[in-house]
Amino acid sequence: MASVVLRNLTKQYSGNNAPSLDMLNLEIADGEFVCLVGPSGCGKTTALRMIAGLEDVTSGEIEIGGRIVNDLPSRDRDIALVFQSYALYPHLTVADNMSFGLKLRKVPKAEIEQAVQSAAKILDLVDLLKRKPAQLSGGQRQRVALGRALVRDPAVFLMDEPLSNLDAKLRVQTRAEIAQLHHRLQATMLYVTHDQVEAMTMADRIAVINLGVLEQYGTPRDLYNFPNNQFVAGFIGSPSMNFVSMRINRDVERVHLTGMSADSNIKVTLTDEQSDILRKSDGSDIVVGVRPEHLIEGSIDHAGFSAVAKVEVIEFLGNDEHIHATSDETDLVAILNAHSSVARGDSITLSAPLDTVHFFDPTSGLRLS
Amino acid sequence: MANIVQSTDLTKRRRGLSRRLPTRGPSNIILGIIAIVWLVPTVSLLVISLRPEADFGVSGWWKALLAPSSLTFSNYRVLFDQGFVAGGLLDSLMTSIEITVPATLLVVLFACFAGHSLVFGRWRGRDVVFLIVVGLMVVPVQVALIPVVQFYHELGNLFGLNPYGTIPGVIIFHVAFGLPFGIFLMRNFMSGIPKDLLEAARMEGAGEWKVFYRIVLPLALPALASLAIFQFIWVWNDLLVALVFLGGNAHTPLTVFLYDQNHELQANYWIISTGAIVSVIVPLIVFFSFQRYFVRGVLAGAVK
Ligand SMILES: Nc1ncnc2c1ncn2[C@@H]1O[C@H](COP(=O)(O)OP(=O)(O)OP(=O)(O)O)[C@@H](O)[C@H]1O
Ligand SMILES: [Mg+2]
Repeated sequence: MASVVLRNLTKQYSGNNAPSLDMLNLEIADGEFVCLVGPSGCGKTTALRMIAGLEDVTSGEIEIGGRIVNDLPSRDRDIALVFQSYALYPHLTVADNMSFGLKLRKVPKAEIEQAVQSAAKILDLVDLLKRKPAQLSGGQRQRVALGRALVRDPAVFLMDEPLSNLDAKLRVQTRAEIAQLHHRLQATMLYVTHDQVEAMTMADRIAVINLGVLEQYGTPRDLYNFPNNQFVAGFIGSPSMNFVSMRINRDVERVHLTGMSADSNIKVTLTDEQSDILRKSDGSDIVVGVRPEHLIEGSIDHAGFSAVAKVEVIEFLGNDEHIHATSDETDLVAILNAHSSVARGDSITLSAPLDTVHFFDPTSGLRLS
Repeated sequence: MANIVQSTDLTKRRRGLSRRLPTRGPSNIILGIIAIVWLVPTVSLLVISLRPEADFGVSGWWKALLAPSSLTFSNYRVLFDQGFVAGGLLDSLMTSIEITVPATLLVVLFACFAGHSLVFGRWRGRDVVFLIVVGLMVVPVQVALIPVVQFYHELGNLFGLNPYGTIPGVIIFHVAFGLPFGIFLMRNFMSGIPKDLLEAARMEGAGEWKVFYRIVLPLALPALASLAIFQFIWVWNDLLVALVFLGGNAHTPLTVFLYDQNHELQANYWIISTGAIVSVIVPLIVFFSFQRYFVRGVLAGAVK
């Protein structure tokens, strides 16, 4: 087991304009499960491949277990990588796939046998050990890929979107298996995904990357409750947070926010403290963020977000329904109880308590507190 | 949209089925006839080789099929009883093997190394080198014969080692001319092997050599087997290069042996037929022993 520290890690592919990874700083504690999330092409795989030693580092440092490994070949880094494509050896049986690395390291036969058996037991592969990868289902291949990493008992596990090729049901199941595995092994794991639900459910901490830059690094709870900026706020949570550009109205006794149009249907009332802060600030606009799950139908007493909106689409999901509504030509999504009697075309009031409302700077996108 | 695609797919499949089913019987019959016609010369050769020499000019070979008891191994016995005298059948068979086996092994070996390096190596100019190799494939053998003979003599003048007239001299020429196609074949096949596999192996502790023979080589077996068969048969059947490069060497391969029988005033048909059958047996053995490596879908299940 080992910790992993990245310092100013940068990757610039020759021929590309912008670096694929720009000054990434990340500390992963021993035994921690960290997820790297971000949209496609943001540099997640690049980061992972550099840690694995498959890609040269342009600048910066990679430290594994207190040792700088920049110039160490991947085989000496004591890490295992689960490829997005599985990368199973097609000419070898499942058992031989799993024992490949141990055989190369000249581990005694009995020990290899035992490692393979115990990994197979954990991953429910015992009956498949004699098969070739072509004779396995996608989920089984996935487990073999995990097993191959498992038998080596590496200091750090790296996984590159290991579930992306599975169907939804299998994904949920394997997700739980990986989480369980981490719990059991207490191993350091760095897990790449573009699926924020995966990240939220499995990770101790999440690193959100966008365009090669680390946007925020923290626990799922932190990221959800206190997103650093508009990107993180929009990326974490499903459906994404609603953003509304609003005007700061300083003409009244207590500052409040209204929609951009003159006869706006959206309004945010503020506390005295917030009002004072905004009165002293300059700038006329602000971005307000409200999560769909915090919106309720009807008005509430406490100060907060409220909008009169016209219902456009209703998505029925069983227990809940997702309401897509427009107010002042802004789309709002709300998750309401399926028992609500809202119908398409209705004009409804959507409200949220002030402590669930987020404020962002309209130009920098940074969170205002 | 998806529905449209699906339905056209279905109609295509249905049409394909109805068209294929009734034609399967006749097409099999036609193929069978072609195969039989194809086999006639070989069978006639076999029968001639099994008939007494005296019968040859008297009646057609098919007559022997009516009287199978007249067939005899005496032709084979006479030629084999000569033993390994220079210019005899057995000696020529050995010489053919001496030339063909190394020429095949060397080409397969070098082509595999080169293919691996051209696909998975990390050096600049790989594509240019590959293009040059492809370009070399179009050089005809005849163009190179005289320059290479001269080159061999130069080697003799400079180092006292003249490969002209020796078996290594023939082998070197065959290897040199087999390599461009060999490299072309192996490189193209290997470029279909996912890089992830090699990276996985490297991460698990394999050095480049282990990556080559534990991952790349087993996966390239189908291409390797085809290359081995191509090269073997090409060298085995070669007459031109052996004639030019063996000079006055007393040991000649089977092709030259058969050619010599034909060249005298009256051809020795019993020797030609017997020698030809002997010369066919070895490529057949090679073909059938390598044939099991022609498996489709070696890469199935590797990725995704
Ligand atoms: N070998 C390469 N040469 C040049 N550019 C590359 C190379 N590999 C990746 N890139 C670029 O680097 C950026 C980051 O790529 P990367 O594969 O890390 O994305 P990712 O976050 O893993 O995306 P995804 O979720 O789609 O897998 C992309 O813009 C990509 O085009
Ligand atoms: Mg990726």
